[in-house]
Amino acid sequence: MNQEELNNKLLEIKDKLIDIEQKANKRIFLPCEAENTYAVNKFLFEDVPLRFVIATGIDSDDYFEILYHYSNDETGCVVTVKAFIRDREKPAIESIAPFLPGAEWIEREIHDLLGIDFKNHPNLRRLILSDDWPEGVYPLRKETKK
Amino acid sequence: MSWKIKALKKSPWVFHVNVGACNNCDIEIVNCLTPRYDVERFGIKLVGSPRHADALLVTGVGTMQAAIRLREVYRQTSKPCVVFLIGACPCGTGIFSQGYHVAGPVDKIIREVDPNAIIAYVPGCPPKPEAMISGIVKTLAAL
Repeated sequence: MNQEELNNKLLEIKDKLIDIEQKANKRIFLPCEAENTYAVNKFLFEDVPLRFVIATGIDSDDYFEILYHYSNDETGCVVTVKAFIRDREKPAIESIAPFLPGAEWIEREIHDLLGIDFKNHPNLRRLILSDDWPEGVYPLRKETKK
Repeated sequence: MSWKIKALKKSPWVFHVNVGACNNCDIEIVNCLTPRYDVERFGIKLVGSPRHADALLVTGVGTMQAAIRLREVYRQTSKPCVVFLIGACPCGTGIFSQGYHVAGPVDKIIREVDPNAIIAYVPGCPPKPEAMISGIVKTLAAL
């Protein structure tokens, strides 16, 4: 799929997104609210389709961001879904692991480090923190001190 | 000198423990065993179990998960034994000193089990194979 076809395809889900930001020639950001991310991810993975690369979790002071990175391997274009989780007290987002098993571990890791609850995740156990790590302490949150 | 120390110095068998290293020091340890340095000609041999070992080669910063395992490995090593800390991380936690998951430095972890443990430091990021061999020679001479 070339760049033009991809751009046209992305217009189909424009109503679920806040914006379509083309930051560079081969870099597209799709900011959206947390409740729409499941549909957006499903569309990108199954309907476009793009290859899922990795997800990133960020603590941005007043909200959390989950970035889902997809690659269009034909052109090398990277499409990033930027999901905003506004609720800092109980951050939660729909898991994409049910239709995308490759995202299972990175979601477990983000759950460990930022304490974001991935709803409908098949197996949200601890992944990388040690067994004696205290419950409810999330090391990559801004308020956590060493 | 007890016969145990004499036997240890004759041919120190080493067991390699990685407690959160980036693999760079581990590669240099393997490098020591290649034909270029070939430490086996001095009787330094890598073994598969701490129960067979006279020395532990510890690489890595000492993470919280690995600290428990390292203490267990140290308990299982037949005494007397020497602990070699290979690299900047085990010697003083290096650039990871402020990390949230760091239980090290490794000498502190080992001393919780045995306050009189014989610990040798080989700093470097990673130390050269020559530095490791020199560290082992100096340690064995001091025993």
